[in-house]
Amino acid sequence: MGTVPVAPRQTGRAPVETSLVYAHGLAALVTLLLSVTFGIIISIQLWAPDLGAGVPALGWGRLRYAHTQGIMLGWLANAFFAFLYHAVPRLTGRPVTSPGLGRWLFGLWNVAVMGAGWVLVLSGVSQPLEWAEFPPVVDVLVVAGIVLALIQFVPPFFSRGLESLYVSSWYIIGALVFTALAYPMGNIAPELVPGPAGAAFSGLWIHDAVGLFVTPLALAILYFVIPVVTGKPIYSHFLSMLGFWLLFFLYPLNGTHHYVMSVIPMDTQLAAITASALLGLTVILVVANLLLSLHGAGVFPADPGLRFVVMSVIFYLVVSIQGSLQAFMAVNAFVHFTDWVIGHSHLAMLGFASFAAAGALAHAWPHIPGARYNARLVSLAYWLLCAGLLIMVVDLTVAGLMQAQLWQSGAPWTSSLEAARPYWIVRTLSSIPIAAGFIALLAGLLTGPVTRPPAAEMRAAA
Amino acid sequence: MNQPARVLRMSYLVASLAGVGFFVLSVAWLGVWPARRLAEDAKRTGPGHVVALTPSEARGRVIYAREGCAYCHTQQVRFTQADIARFGAPTLAWETRADTPHMMGTRRIGPDLARAGGTRSEDWHLTHLYAPRSVVPASVMPPYRHLFAGGSDAPRQEARDLVAYLETLGRARELAGDEGEARAATVSHTHMEGLTPSPVLNPHPARPRRTGEVPALPANGDRARGEWLYARNCAACHGSTLEGNGPGAGGLTPRPTNLAEHTYTDGRLAQALWNGVSGTAMPAWRDLPLADLGALVEYVRDPRITSQLRHDRTRPAQGELAFGQRVYEANCAQCHGAQGAGDGWAARALAVAPTNFRVQRLWGTAAMRILQTGIEGTMMASWRSRLSGEEMQAVAEYIVQLYRDEQDLRAREGRR
Ligand code: HEC
Ligand code: HEC
Ligand code: HEC
Repeated sequence: MGTVPVAPRQTGRAPVETSLVYAHGLAALVTLLLSVTFGIIISIQLWAPDLGAGVPALGWGRLRYAHTQGIMLGWLANAFFAFLYHAVPRLTGRPVTSPGLGRWLFGLWNVAVMGAGWVLVLSGVSQPLEWAEFPPVVDVLVVAGIVLALIQFVPPFFSRGLESLYVSSWYIIGALVFTALAYPMGNIAPELVPGPAGAAFSGLWIHDAVGLFVTPLALAILYFVIPVVTGKPIYSHFLSMLGFWLLFFLYPLNGTHHYVMSVIPMDTQLAAITASALLGLTVILVVANLLLSLHGAGVFPADPGLRFVVMSVIFYLVVSIQGSLQAFMAVNAFVHFTDWVIGHSHLAMLGFASFAAAGALAHAWPHIPGARYNARLVSLAYWLLCAGLLIMVVDLTVAGLMQAQLWQSGAPWTSSLEAARPYWIVRTLSSIPIAAGFIALLAGLLTGPVTRPPAAEMRAAA
Repeated sequence: MNQPARVLRMSYLVASLAGVGFFVLSVAWLGVWPARRLAEDAKRTGPGHVVALTPSEARGRVIYAREGCAYCHTQQVRFTQADIARFGAPTLAWETRADTPHMMGTRRIGPDLARAGGTRSEDWHLTHLYAPRSVVPASVMPPYRHLFAGGSDAPRQEARDLVAYLETLGRARELAGDEGEARAATVSHTHMEGLTPSPVLNPHPARPRRTGEVPALPANGDRARGEWLYARNCAACHGSTLEGNGPGAGGLTPRPTNLAEHTYTDGRLAQALWNGVSGTAMPAWRDLPLADLGALVEYVRDPRITSQLRHDRTRPAQGELAFGQRVYEANCAQCHGAQGAGDGWAARALAVAPTNFRVQRLWGTAAMRILQTGIEGTMMASWRSRLSGEEMQAVAEYIVQLYRDEQDLRAREGRR
């Protein structure tokens, strides 16, 4: 089976739109810092709730909308686009469809989606739907953006035939196709279907956003960076493909686990809980394959990009097992609605996904001719982010258990607020290393010596 | 080489189709199918007709959505014992069947609001929205000042709309009444197995009720603890000096009682704390341990009736009392009752129950002042234009001596 691709293609490289890698990379970090700022403000408001009083745009709810939409559509999507511009030509040996299209996509995404979306949400035009807070007008633009991305990135893959596709390619195609399907379903259906039936669709989307958009692209990064940096093929092509298909089958069936013990029919809940358990097992398989592919590069490899990626793999394992556990009714009845879940989602988005995205940027940056790259700052960013995230997740998990306990006890509601206060303060403090880490990452990509990509790439780009 | 490649290509095609098929399956299985089941459920267990939102309520819902209230408050009582104990009967499919988009929520920083309607008074809601900590000091809810024109007593239409919407939460279930509950009981949810149902639809501990059994509070509560509890729970409205002038008092009608000019029987206080004062912002405190309620009673019972106030007490002559009684019977008894027990024939129709003078008494000139001003927000009107000064004086003196507290009487007897 000589044709079976066990690593990203390293020969016959096509020209890379490095300016778009650069632009999306910077846009990612700028939207990230804004989103983090929104997050910090709402975290402070939990222990200083009169902060921003009287300014509607600084209201907790509106900032909360802007925070998560910014993280998903601003930071992660831009970082993923940057990665795609870097990786697709390398995976396919073909250029992306069109640099001009790329500029349109960049403008559409950052001005019309992020800019307009944020302004609208903060001025009170939004949907109260999780991971779908941007109003329907912006949703239309997001779908247009996804279609543009499909046109931009998918055709190169088909030029050589499917059998030569490396697993990252599968994830990329899967992510773009399924996001194009799931996004309208999740953002529009609950506006049309009332009540708990609408919630069933919301539940689907909450999980599809993570499972069909964020996770596959993050995994595409992990599967790409590991073999390229270690210079060794992935452990098993078979396992990687098995994992791919299992994930794409199981993720969509998880949705209803966001509404366990609700009025949604029990069979539906049980199906989702079962899928969640199977998903946990699948992730163990995927992660085992990724870790074995490191071929002894260690948990803290010297290459900053790879180091981010390895930690992302570890977070992926932890967060997925946690996810399967908390879908079980007994656990869910206890921890649902508490800060435990907020800890979980930060472990997923800030741990797994953001570490993958940061790894992709750190990995791609030195390949951009003329860009600056400061490995020491990027490495500092890594440690700051690890520390901050660890504090935050442990803190929120303990806070969640405590809230759950107090809610069960029948104590007045306010006692759960008073007990949470110190934890909420610590959570805000944990944002200091996190914000510092992201600033260091941005600085690491703006300062330092001008990069000199390998001569072969310069030729290809010329 | 060519042959396996074609097989591979075929298998990928099949797998890709299967992938899309699975997505469609997920939407069908976890979206469309439950939607149909829920619609059937709603039809079977719900009333034929659910009151639609008025334009004001619908606008309020939009405000609720845009301000992200649903990210701190769920609108679903789950089928778990803890939820049932705290929030009451689990939310059924039909209750929210018209909610587009749904706001079931996935996080609780504040409590569930599925049954918020009828739980708090309108003035409480407005004050709470304007400045949450002015009524609930430990709250972390954001203030929504932009819905007001400068004060909790100056709500804009938006604030009124929002409160109107809050009042609809749980309304349909409440209106469905016993018949609705009977139908709800037929819901054979696998969820319900092993769960003890809630005895009442809405067990909110702060929901005031006009009548209701009050448990015996432990006597001789801990006064120091009472003082501490008062500062945390009551001072926001009743003021740190108990004079009814806390930071939350301004927008409330009727205003929080000036506790410093009253003496109460323990029974009256237990009742006010356990049941709240229906029709006013005074919440019930059924979530506090009985020992804490006892401590509060100890602290509030006879707070600072200064010797000055006690001294102001006039001892009317017998003839004057008879005159006061005549004025009372002619003007007050229909509400306050023939014996002053607050049980006149008109009392039941009033949103705020008339005072029972036998279990609480006013000191000093307070009764006279109230007769002149009336109590805004209740049916206790000003008598200035209807009674002469003499009549008011006489009836004021008459009502304060209706107070009957065995303990208190004995103490006064001893002092004499
Ligand atoms: C940051 C989280 C947060 C947001 C956002 C929030 N609340 Fe609250 N809310 C709370 C907390 C905490 C409490 C409990 C303490 C209290 O009563 O203030 C509460 C209590 C309430 C209560 C009283 C519940 C009861 O037990 O009677 C109502 C009603 C309410 N909120 C309505 C709203 C509305 C309407 C909005 C949106 C305009 C909103 N809340 C937004 C946190 C929040
Ligand atoms: C949200 C504001 C608020 C809070 C908090 C509050 N009260 Fe009240 N209270 C009121 C209002 C309003 C009234 C009713 C005034 C009336 O009936 O005219 C009242 C009435 C009372 C009464 C009955 C007085 C009477 O004349 O019938 C007592 C006793 C009382 N409160 C004690 C307390 C205690 C003790 C606490 C703390 C555990 C407390 N209140 C907390 C607003 C509040
Ligand atoms: C229409 C019914 C009605 C009539 C008639 C009426 N009252 Fe009242 N009264 C009330 C209500 C209602 C309250 C308010 C109770 C509250 O705020 O909780 C009240 C309260 C009072 C209070 C305040 C008690 C306290 O402890 O704060 C006094 C004093 C009083 N009434 C005296 C009188 C007198 C004297 C008359 C006859 C001249 C009278 N009322 C006639 C309904 C009535």
